[in-house]
Amino acid sequence: MNAFPLIDLKDASSFPSRRVEAWKYSDLRRHLREAPAPSPSATVPLVGGGPFEALGGEAMVFVNGRAVGETQMMVSGDKMVRLRLISRAQGTGHALTARLSVRAGAKLLLLESHEGHGSAYVAHNRLELDVARGAEVTRIVLTDEPADAMSITQAQVRVEAGGLYRQTILTTGAKLQRLETQVTHRARGADVRLDGVYVLSGERQADLTSVVDHVAADGVTSQLTKGVVRDTARGVFQGKIVVERGADGTDARMGHHALILGERAEIDAKPELEIYADDVQCAHGNTVGNLDEAALFYMQQRGIAADEARALLTQAFLIEVVDRIVHEGAREVVREWLTARL
Amino acid sequence: MAAVQKTIDAVAALEKYEHGFTSDIDTEYAPRGLNADIVRFISEKKGEPEWMLEWRLAAYERWLAMEEPTWASVKYTPVDYQSLFYYAAPKEKAGLKSLDEVDPEILAIYAKLGIPLKEQEVLAGVEGAARYAVDAVFDSVSVVTTFKAELAKVGIIFMPISEALREHPELVRQYLGSVVPVSDNYFAALNSAVFSDGSFVYIPPGVRCPMELSTYFRINASQTGQFERTLIIADKGSYCSYLEGCTAPMRDENQLHAAVVELVALDDAEIKYSTVQNWYPGDAEGKGGIYNFVTKRADCRGDRSKVSWTQVETGSAVTWKYPSCILKGEESSGEFYSIAITNGHQQADTGTKMIHLGKNSRSRIIAKAVSAGKSDSTYRGLVSVHPKATGVRNFTQCDSLLIGKDCGSHTVPYIEARNGSAQLEHEATTTRLSDDQLFYAQQRGLSQEEAVALLVNGFVRDVMQKLPMEFAVEAQKLVAISLEGSVG
Repeated sequence: MNAFPLIDLKDASSFPSRRVEAWKYSDLRRHLREAPAPSPSATVPLVGGGPFEALGGEAMVFVNGRAVGETQMMVSGDKMVRLRLISRAQGTGHALTARLSVRAGAKLLLLESHEGHGSAYVAHNRLELDVARGAEVTRIVLTDEPADAMSITQAQVRVEAGGLYRQTILTTGAKLQRLETQVTHRARGADVRLDGVYVLSGERQADLTSVVDHVAADGVTSQLTKGVVRDTARGVFQGKIVVERGADGTDARMGHHALILGERAEIDAKPELEIYADDVQCAHGNTVGNLDEAALFYMQQRGIAADEARALLTQAFLIEVVDRIVHEGAREVVREWLTARL
Repeated sequence: MAAVQKTIDAVAALEKYEHGFTSDIDTEYAPRGLNADIVRFISEKKGEPEWMLEWRLAAYERWLAMEEPTWASVKYTPVDYQSLFYYAAPKEKAGLKSLDEVDPEILAIYAKLGIPLKEQEVLAGVEGAARYAVDAVFDSVSVVTTFKAELAKVGIIFMPISEALREHPELVRQYLGSVVPVSDNYFAALNSAVFSDGSFVYIPPGVRCPMELSTYFRINASQTGQFERTLIIADKGSYCSYLEGCTAPMRDENQLHAAVVELVALDDAEIKYSTVQNWYPGDAEGKGGIYNFVTKRADCRGDRSKVSWTQVETGSAVTWKYPSCILKGEESSGEFYSIAITNGHQQADTGTKMIHLGKNSRSRIIAKAVSAGKSDSTYRGLVSVHPKATGVRNFTQCDSLLIGKDCGSHTVPYIEARNGSAQLEHEATTTRLSDDQLFYAQQRGLSQEEAVALLVNGFVRDVMQKLPMEFAVEAQKLVAISLEGSVG
C-alpha cells in the first residue's frame, strides 16, 4: 500500500493530476505543466534561527533542498531537533529528503519550520521517520510560504510496538500546498496523534492529507484538524484510516471541523475509513459551517466590537488543537505563531 | 415486547433465499449479444416512435466509446456484454385486457412471491393496509399493471414505460434522460440503449396519489440482463409514494441488472421512493448472483420540492448504486435512508449524492451498513454546495456494524462546500456487535441467531421506521434472513 505516487520534480510526467483520486483537490499538473529549473544553491547567509529558535536544541538545516549539515540523524536519549526547510528561490524548484531514526525508548521533539522566501518556487520535501519500540516522537510543523509558491511535503512515519507519535501541523497555505503524512502502526500498541490547523486567506490553498495504516493490533489513532478559510481560499482535508485484517483492538478517531468565513471560500473534506477487522472502534466527525450567530450577538451585546468578537471566536475554535500539544515550550511558540496570523 | 416477538417470529420463519426458484416460462429472446441491430430489434418490439430509436442508437454509440468504471471498491468477473440476451419476454401478446389473460404460470410466480396482482387483494395479515397498485415487470416486459383505471380517474398516469412511449410520447420525450443524461455513466448509457421496460408515473398538479404505487421486478430467464427504466414526474404540489421490489432465481451465473431511475419533482411536489432489493446474492461460495449496477437520481427542480430515498439492500452479489438528489429548487430537500446488509461473498458499494444548487436547500443522510461473512460494504457519498446556494443544511450519519473477522466495512464521504453560509455535519462510526448485548440477550433465553437478529434490527431501526408499512414487515424479515449463519 503506497499512497504516495513517486513525484520527481525533474519529470513533469510524474506530477499527479486531479484524475488521481488522492490528488483530486490538489491538481499539481494543472499548476505545473513543466518541470521547474533547478534552484541555485543559496549563498545568502542564514538570518535568525527560525520560529523555534528560542527553544534551543540542535538544528538540521536545508536551503533550497541542499543540506547545510547532515541529512540523516540517529536519535537516542532525549533530544530536541529544529528541522529548518528554507527556500530562497525565484521560479525554480528543489527537493530534499531527510531521515530520522529514533531508537528504542528514546525521545525526540522535532520542530519543523518551512521558511519560504522569494517567490513562485516549487519545493518537494520528503521526511522519513522511524519510531522504534517504546520511543516517543513529537513533530510540530509551522509553514510560512509566499502566496505564489508551491510545496509538497510527504512524511512517512513507521511506529513500532508501544511507540508514541504525536504530530501537529499548522499552516497558512501557499498557491498549492500539500502536507501529506503516512503513518503505519507496524507493531502492537502504538499510539498516534495527528493534528492540524490551517488558516487561509487570499487565494491560498492548503491540503492536509493523511493515511494511517493499522497493520498491528491494539493501536490507537486520534486525529483533530481544524481550519478557517477566508476570501477565495481553499482548505482540503483528506484523512484515511485503514484497519487491516488482524488489527484487532484498534481505536481510531478522526475529527475535521472547518469555518468558512468568506462568501467564496471553499472546503473540501474526505474522511475515510477502510476496515477489515471487526473488534475495532472507529469514528469520524466532520463539520463545515460558520461562526455561531448567537455567540457573536452575545459578545457584541456585552460591548465587544463585531470584528473583535469574530477574531476571539475564531481563535477559541482553533486553539483547541494547539492545547493538545504536550510540550509546554513548543505549545507557547505555536500559540503565539497562530495568534499573530489570525 | 411486541417488537421482540415479531423478530422471533421472523427468525423462526427463516429460509435461505426463498425467491430462488426457477420457472419454466415459454420465453422469446432477442439474438444473443449487443449491436445496433439488437437496439433496433428492441425498439421495434416495443413499437417505438422514430425519435426513440435514434435516442437509443445515439446512446449505444456513446456506450461503445465509454469504459467500465473501476473506482468502486468491488471486485467481480467482468461482464461479457456480448454473451448476454438483451431482451427476453414471455411469449404472450402485449396489451392484455384483463388479468385473466395473463399466463397463469406467471401469475403463479407472483402469487408465490406474495405480490398481489388482483386488485381486490390486500396485503395478507396486515389489518387495514392500504391498497397498492403494482406494475409487474418480468424479465424485459411489464406483464400487468393494476389499478390503472382507478388512478386515471384522478389524472394519474401509471403504466409501463413502453406503453407511455406510445400513449404519452410528448411527456416521456420531455423528461426522459433529463435527470440521468445518456452519457452520465457506462451503465446508464448501456441502459439507455437497450432498456426494455419499467414504470412511468405522472402525478398531475395538486394530486395526492391515493395509493402506494409499486413495481415488482423479476428476472426469470437465464443469461439475461435486465435493464429497466423508471421515470416518475410529480407535477406542482403533488405527492406520491413508490415502492420497488426485486427478486431473481438462484443460478450459478452472474446476471446483470443495470437500471436507470429518474425522478422529477416540480414546485411543492414530494416523491417518496422505497426499495427493497433482494436479488439473488449468490451461493455460500460466492458463485452466481446478480450484478446490480444501478443509476438512480432525483431532480428537485421545483421550489420546496422534496424527494426521499429509502432503500434496504440485502441482495445482489455486487451492488453499485448511489440514489442521488439534485437540489435545484429553493428550499428543496433530499433525504436518503439506507440499510445495506452484506453476507457471504456479497459486495456493496452504495451511498448517495446530495448536490445543493438551490438556496436554503436541505438534505439528510442516514446510512446503516451491516457486514457479515466474507462480505464487503462501502458507503460512498458526496455532499456538495454550489457557490450560489446560501443557507444550505446537511446532516449525514453513517454507521457500520461488523459481524465476524473476515468482512470489511468502508466509509468514503466527500464534502465540497463552496458557500460560507452552509452548515454541514457528518459523522460515522464502525463497531462490532457488542458482546455485552449479545450475552444479555442470550442470557434471557434467545439463541445466538435470534439475539443477532434482534440487535441488528435495533441498529437499523432509524431507517426501518422510514419504510412504508407494507415494506417494513418484509424488510424486517429480510434482515434476519440475510444474516442467517453469520455467527458461530
